[in-house]
Amino acid sequence: MSRWIPDEPGEEAALLEALGISSVDELFSDVPKKARIGRMGVGPGHKEIEVVREIDRLLERNRPLSRFASFLGGRIAPRYMPAAVDAMLSRSEFYTAYTPYQAEASQGMLRALFEFQSLWVELTGLDVANASLYDGATAAGEALLFCRRIHEGRRFLVPASLPWEEKSVLRNYASGPKLTVEEIPYDARTGRLDLGFVRAAVQSHDVFGVLADVPNGFGHLDEGILDLKSTIGDVPLVVSADPLALSVLDPPGNYGADVVVGEGQGFGIAPSFGGPLLGLFACRREHLRSAPGRIVGATLDADGHRAYALTLVTREQHIRRSRATSNICTNESLMALAFVVYASLVGPRGLAQLQTSLAEKARTLASALGGIEGLQAPRFDAPYLGEFTIEVGRGTAGAFLDRLRRRRILGGHRLADPRPGSPAEPERILVAATDSVGEKEIQKYARAAQAAVDAAGRNP
Amino acid sequence: MTFRQARWEEPSIWDLAPPRTVETPPAVPGVPERLRRKEAVRWPELSELEVVRHYTRLSQMNFGIDTSSYPLGSCTMKYNPKVSEMLARRKGAAEMHPYQPEATAQGALEIFWRLERILTKVTGMPEVSLQAAAGAHGEYAALLMVAAYFRDRGESETRTEVLLPDTAHGTNPASAAMAGYSTREILSKGGCVDLAALRAAVSSKTACFMLTNPNTAGLFESEILEIADTVHGAGAMLYYDGANLNAILGITNPGRMGFDVAHLNLHKTFATPHGGGGPGAGVLASGERLAPYLPIPRIVKSGRKFRLDYDRPKSIGKIKTGYGNFGLDLRAYAFAITHGEDGLKHVARRSVLNSNYVASRLGKFLPRPFRPLVKHEFVLSGAPLKERGVRTLDLAKRLLDEGVHAPTVYFPSLVEESLMVELPETESKRELDQYIAAFERAISDTPENLHAAPRSLAVRRVDEVRAAREPLLSWKDLRGAGKAETP
Repeated sequence: MSRWIPDEPGEEAALLEALGISSVDELFSDVPKKARIGRMGVGPGHKEIEVVREIDRLLERNRPLSRFASFLGGRIAPRYMPAAVDAMLSRSEFYTAYTPYQAEASQGMLRALFEFQSLWVELTGLDVANASLYDGATAAGEALLFCRRIHEGRRFLVPASLPWEEKSVLRNYASGPKLTVEEIPYDARTGRLDLGFVRAAVQSHDVFGVLADVPNGFGHLDEGILDLKSTIGDVPLVVSADPLALSVLDPPGNYGADVVVGEGQGFGIAPSFGGPLLGLFACRREHLRSAPGRIVGATLDADGHRAYALTLVTREQHIRRSRATSNICTNESLMALAFVVYASLVGPRGLAQLQTSLAEKARTLASALGGIEGLQAPRFDAPYLGEFTIEVGRGTAGAFLDRLRRRRILGGHRLADPRPGSPAEPERILVAATDSVGEKEIQKYARAAQAAVDAAGRNP
Repeated sequence: MTFRQARWEEPSIWDLAPPRTVETPPAVPGVPERLRRKEAVRWPELSELEVVRHYTRLSQMNFGIDTSSYPLGSCTMKYNPKVSEMLARRKGAAEMHPYQPEATAQGALEIFWRLERILTKVTGMPEVSLQAAAGAHGEYAALLMVAAYFRDRGESETRTEVLLPDTAHGTNPASAAMAGYSTREILSKGGCVDLAALRAAVSSKTACFMLTNPNTAGLFESEILEIADTVHGAGAMLYYDGANLNAILGITNPGRMGFDVAHLNLHKTFATPHGGGGPGAGVLASGERLAPYLPIPRIVKSGRKFRLDYDRPKSIGKIKTGYGNFGLDLRAYAFAITHGEDGLKHVARRSVLNSNYVASRLGKFLPRPFRPLVKHEFVLSGAPLKERGVRTLDLAKRLLDEGVHAPTVYFPSLVEESLMVELPETESKRELDQYIAAFERAISDTPENLHAAPRSLAVRRVDEVRAAREPLLSWKDLRGAGKAETP
């Protein structure tokens, strides 16, 4: 019920006539009768006006973030997106293109991806970046496999504070080659990594990589990360970093990171209920040929002019097949475009200012929540930027968040693994200062939190 | 058609406003001195107009479906409906956090749920998950499910091998290797699986046989039911690579053909835009035996409410952050309900009609190595061009000068100098005839002109060998090599 399929009168008949057949059915004579199906049961088609009405009716049942005072963050960081970002993403020369295999016809996207790679190199202090992976969690998974290619061993260490989803994704990546993912304990007061544990583990000579995140899964900064490389020696260090934080923090390449991965959604990509997202990956030049994913390189054209092309493709699945560095084909190119357009619109000063303003708001929020009895806010005694973890002392984190929601506050998200049978975890919530909240919303959060804790005390 | 692509001498973004001084960013509250960035990020400070003009100019040096027919075989480059773009940008879709409480995301959960129901019907498989970010991601997750299933049956030590045809997409063997399997290729006969070779290869060591149907030669594997029996007879699983589902919508489906698990590419069959290489949206469809292993969470409907169910003890766990790529799943849902039952079937019929029409015409210029009846795409061999000192690559580049995109080239590799052409259902006969005419002009051109192509684009023939030999992969590399205008 659309004009998406051409239907000019006589058109189909002309095609059939050219083929010398009388019906399209003849073109399916190679499908055995026993393999044929009757009707699928999908339902009738609809006109565009009906589709828009129906989908709008469904979307009405969503309550978007703008309807709340939202303190939801973590790896997915909703942020104001300058209108110009979407204007560029809406250029259909970009968004309706396929992978730029034909370099001459795709210089626009290749150049944008080269700029994206360059930006991630500048932010991380590493040498080379790829043209994107699916999301931050799968980028960490690819980093795990990458480490195994450049170093011997069976064990990969990750912080116990890493979000449960990422641990689960990492365990999947580790499962194929039968590697293990082990958790580094953290200090109960500060959340800092137990470097003694790491030191002891690497002495087994069976550790092929160590991952640390900035900020960590609790939203905090851990100065210990600066000493991690000297602790692990030639074992590869993976840092999973928030790109906005890197606008004000020392680039991980400066303190020995061999790989820097991250989630790029916060740079110009709408959260869209979890996707599409953007996986970031950078590594050292010496390990370039072990890197996963597409890479754009600069070269020359036949006239000696600067031109760009996908390069080092012999690492990739379409050439190397079972010996490829990764199975990835489709990546997140358009999201990589969003990332570089966003950063270019905001500029380096603007990014640092945004991170500073979020850090100031987070401090205001921490002091507003700090005095509430029955709530530890922040839970950890450690530095932080725009987010931190709180722990509910009365009732559950779920009940706390429900009570806030009734007051139109999205108070953060629970950190516990939701799978039934998971080990009992403290009632912790990651709270993020976002650019959509101000003093008013912060005070509202504090009042609602007080009321929620009081209610839990009366009615546990 | 006369065609000239824009050819802006547009500098790279760092050359528009070279960062002059190395500044120290201001102190940020709470950041320990040791962790502070000592030098500001080296990136230009540009006005909004400068940024917009830069990327607009870059966009004008890029082919998209909206500018050009895009007959990349195996990529299903169909029209990406504008209405889907509009809907995906609604606040109720874009401004949703994956960790929002379920009660505030009922519409999103229902769209996921409804799309999954549609896809169970399209695939003929009882369970569907939308968590995969792309096709290869779905392949990988499916093989992890297969591995978990055999582990539970105590067969993981013995079933260590994945079989695939020599025409398989490269992602298939790569995914199998990542999931811990060794891979073995089955030779094809006439472009299809050689059943005798498959029978000889399957054994108690086989975990899975991965197959695309129609396959990458554009042929329907007519012996699919025998193939399924052979694989199942050895106690192995049959995997469906759904890259080519477009050709069989409403005609047959992986469930009916006997597949145990499948991935689909919504960015192919369901018209979500490919974004210059991504994003995609993958679908995992599963039969009863593997369904308990699908990634968590699953979307369930309880009464009139929708929720995320994490209570699946056999699940492989998570494969990405959040659930699916909702922004794309929403577009795919709009595509599915617009077409409906009859429309989806018409998609397959018209794509196959287009393909056979163009194949019959282009077959006059180059040999078709396999049987004439094809599905959504077809393969030609450019080998005879070599008599004129011309290669398939030259023809592909010359086609770009006609303002049409090149076909997929040098795949499948079992055909010498192969070209693979797919012009989906959204291309009209007029567009097909223009493409055929462009192809004729291109192939009839002189060897000199073919070697010199392209001439009408932003750049001339790009030296890919040089790109690989001397990798310059970022602005930092250009600076280091003294090849950037700015230090």
